[in-house]
Amino acid sequence: MPAPAARAALFIALLAGAMTPAVAADQGAAPAYSAKGADSCLGCHDDPALLSLFKTKHARPQDDRGPFGHGGLQCEACHGPGGAHVRARGKQPAGIVDFGPHALATPARQNAQCLGCHQSNTAHEWAASQHAASEVPCAACHTLHAAHDPVLATATQAEVCTTCHQAEHTDLFKPSHHPLREGKMACTSCHAPHGSQGPFLLVGNTVTETCTRCHAEYRGPFLWEHQPVAEDCSNCHSAHGSAQPALLKTRPPFLCQQCHEGAGHPSVPNGPQGLPGGAPSAYLLAGGCVNCHTQVHGSNHPSGRALMR
Amino acid sequence: MPAVKAAPRHRRRSSVAGAVSLLAAGAAWADGAPDTSAWKCEQCPFLEGYSGDVEIGALYAHGANFSYGQYTGIDRSTTYADVAAAGQYRSADGTNASFDLEDLGLASRAGTASVGREGRFDVKVDYDDIPTRLYDTGATPFLGAGGGNLTLPAAWVAAGSTAGMSALAATLAPVNIEYDRRTASLLGTYVASSAWTLHAAFRHEEKDGTGLMSGSFLTQAAQLPQPIDYVTDTVEAGAAWADHRASLHLDYTGSWFKNDIDSLTFTNPYLPLVAGSTQGRLALPPDNNLQQFALAGNLPLNFLATSFTYAASFGSLKQDEAFLPFSTLPGATVPTPAALDGDVHLSHYALGLASHPLPRLSLRGNASYDGRDDHTTPLTLAYVVTDTFPGGSALTTPRYSEDRTRLEGSADYTLDRWVRVGVGGKYLDTHYGPDQLVADTRDTESWVHATLDPLAGLTITLKGGNASRKTSGFIASALPAAENPLVWAFDYAPRDREFFTLTASWQATATLTWSVDGFFANDDYRLSQLGLQSVHERRASTTLTWTPRETLSAYIDGGYQRLDMLQDGFTGAFTAPWQAGDSEHFWNLGGGGQWAVAARWTLALDYLHAPSYGDFNTQVGGLAEPFPQNWSRLDSVRLDLRYQWTRAAQLHLRFIHEKYDSSDWALGDVGPATIPNLLALGVLPLAHDVNLVALTFRYQFGAAASAPPP
Repeated sequence: MPAPAARAALFIALLAGAMTPAVAADQGAAPAYSAKGADSCLGCHDDPALLSLFKTKHARPQDDRGPFGHGGLQCEACHGPGGAHVRARGKQPAGIVDFGPHALATPARQNAQCLGCHQSNTAHEWAASQHAASEVPCAACHTLHAAHDPVLATATQAEVCTTCHQAEHTDLFKPSHHPLREGKMACTSCHAPHGSQGPFLLVGNTVTETCTRCHAEYRGPFLWEHQPVAEDCSNCHSAHGSAQPALLKTRPPFLCQQCHEGAGHPSVPNGPQGLPGGAPSAYLLAGGCVNCHTQVHGSNHPSGRALMR
Repeated sequence: MPAVKAAPRHRRRSSVAGAVSLLAAGAAWADGAPDTSAWKCEQCPFLEGYSGDVEIGALYAHGANFSYGQYTGIDRSTTYADVAAAGQYRSADGTNASFDLEDLGLASRAGTASVGREGRFDVKVDYDDIPTRLYDTGATPFLGAGGGNLTLPAAWVAAGSTAGMSALAATLAPVNIEYDRRTASLLGTYVASSAWTLHAAFRHEEKDGTGLMSGSFLTQAAQLPQPIDYVTDTVEAGAAWADHRASLHLDYTGSWFKNDIDSLTFTNPYLPLVAGSTQGRLALPPDNNLQQFALAGNLPLNFLATSFTYAASFGSLKQDEAFLPFSTLPGATVPTPAALDGDVHLSHYALGLASHPLPRLSLRGNASYDGRDDHTTPLTLAYVVTDTFPGGSALTTPRYSEDRTRLEGSADYTLDRWVRVGVGGKYLDTHYGPDQLVADTRDTESWVHATLDPLAGLTITLKGGNASRKTSGFIASALPAAENPLVWAFDYAPRDREFFTLTASWQATATLTWSVDGFFANDDYRLSQLGLQSVHERRASTTLTWTPRETLSAYIDGGYQRLDMLQDGFTGAFTAPWQAGDSEHFWNLGGGGQWAVAARWTLALDYLHAPSYGDFNTQVGGLAEPFPQNWSRLDSVRLDLRYQWTRAAQLHLRFIHEKYDSSDWALGDVGPATIPNLLALGVLPLAHDVNLVALTFRYQFGAAASAPPP
């Protein structure tokens, strides 16, 4: 295995190389802002649904980091300079940045507004993320003027995510599933939609590190380990849903026999003769292999070699 | 489920060119910032004072059982309190507090409360209970369920098989397989300056109840109620520095898992295979702890609109629970050393890059390294097989390590305002440590995609590619002695994959949106002579939404998935090879809508039909042997009727009918004594037929009562 120190040195060298001085951006002619800020906007935009923004964190006048904090650009912090729009009494929306999946502004333009504040905090890994590559606008997921953004609530988040991730919508209804449909778990329990340096936008560095954040009892290390468990939980489990118990990809004994064909019972075909109408088989029924090899995630028993103790 | 789905899929526009100008524009706007001293925000309805709402009511569930109560907590037919409350307070100086309590009358209750000062600090307390209700149809003769020592009644009659256990019927007692996960958290954030933010969190999680495991005496076994009494405490603390040039996040995570019951001892319900083998003992999950330090951040450069992201973490996972004795047999000792001193080092380094070197070209790439290095000293142990047969050959415990280097990259080019094309690829190199079947695997994947906007409102994305896994030579010496050298565990095995995706969304009119999503992938384990041979996956989904006006919206959605697996087996030289197949199908069809019937009345309706089918078959010597079909069927109707009685008061009537039924050949007709050498719990396939009615009264108070509706 490569020396960790060498890896660390390479990482630091690459990081140092990346830290070249920034080149100043070209400066264009600044568009005009409105004369009175939000008061210019709210004279016309007084829809109660829009005004719900003032129930959110974006409208906190004592928070200088926010658009309504001291010196903040208020509505125009996000929507861009609205001077021309106000002068034209709303007839000239050009230059105003609108938001959402069907907005006139491109996703990149929308997102630049959000990233102006958030690229160093919440979205610091956004730029290299799959969502950025797919040009997903922030407002495809976030409902910014709502008092309660559905994507930020555990109970409603999955409905937002599965608007695009439709296959995962079907997964919600499979017989074995994580408690997303019941609103007790969110997609963000496992995934980091704003970017991650792990696979599949996971919150952990690996699949196993992500799963064991909640399932700490399987972390080990055990005296007797089961190699695929230590390597990657998704070797055996389908995290988004399954027809088999415990989110398994398929059921024992067949799942186990995809890797184990040892002499004796592991190599024996388990056909329907082993069902209750025939010669009921412990290899096939109830838990199948785990009727005996119950410590399939690993055993700390000195006699746990075969994961039976 | 929300009554109306959000508008599906964003519309992709030819926006790459915008990305460069955008960042420049953003900077220009910032530099051209106006004098805001006259921006009084006099019309801004900032929250001040208190507001909140309380929901009080009752729900009655008829037909509820564990099958319905899984995760909902509505697990029996009775009346439940339906109580929720939320509120917030904010003063003019930015001091604020809020709380939100949900489902207080159910085992799925959750709550959060916070207090803080805008732009300065926040302190938050969370509580969440997730009820897991697995089976309420099981029964066992064992006494002491929920504890670490299971005994049999005095009248128990041991026998060589379950059929001979003559006292079984009289001694069976119901046992519920259920546990609760209760999590309480305390989180704090402090804004130290415009650049620095500090945060800390403490999370205490308790998981207790009864699970399901098995105990075996080599050829005879019993399903047992497993005691679960876990506590996991987690501490997270960190600091983040950020300004417009870069960001740096430093974090520490410490997590301590503790299990107060280290073993499950159980009386042998069978006649012992050898004298003295009257008791078995299973190890339960050992205490462990994880310590991890991480840094991450980004470095946006104005040069070519380039941004770097970086991350690194180092950690260790330790486990040193005292070993149990080798066996319950008389004279069995504890091995030396008396604990594992398990120590696994975890490391992670990653760099990401996003750049727009040309107005129409965007590039993205990620490189990462993950190491799992098991430093635990291997032990050589002469084990006792299932508390029955001492004197097994001494074996050395294998330790598993691996490190992965992953490279990903993609390039996208905007050919015209209606078409964007891209290519990408991944490379994953996994090096395995000793004791494993291969030294390394190399996964490569490449793909092309095109995004088309042929009509206003219509976006179609096509993506196709292939992947291949190659490996170093197979190390047969790493196989356990009895394993067939022709089997190649599928996580190591060479594999070819092809895949294709299609997504499309069409905003046909201002009120009508349609989206479709399709995917197929074929995996072929081309060099595996035994074990998993192929996996074929097909998925298709579609959603249609219609929002003719603000007061009316409707949706229809549907999906289909199919998964086919094929595997080969071989028992011995004088028997025919065998094959097993698993073909699974899933459907979901839903529809519903929301309608503001009148000024005070709102009606929402949702319908869901979601069946699944699983076909297993084995084939021995070419003769097909299909299993009975496994199936499940979920039908659900939900109706929500809301009446806005006054500006502050609302009545909400909710009706849910949900029917679920399933068939499973592994559980159906398998009673405690059905299998001669397995004393089973006899749990049944899940089913429920529930009618739930809830009536709640919601009252808003404070500013919320006079504020416009959300």
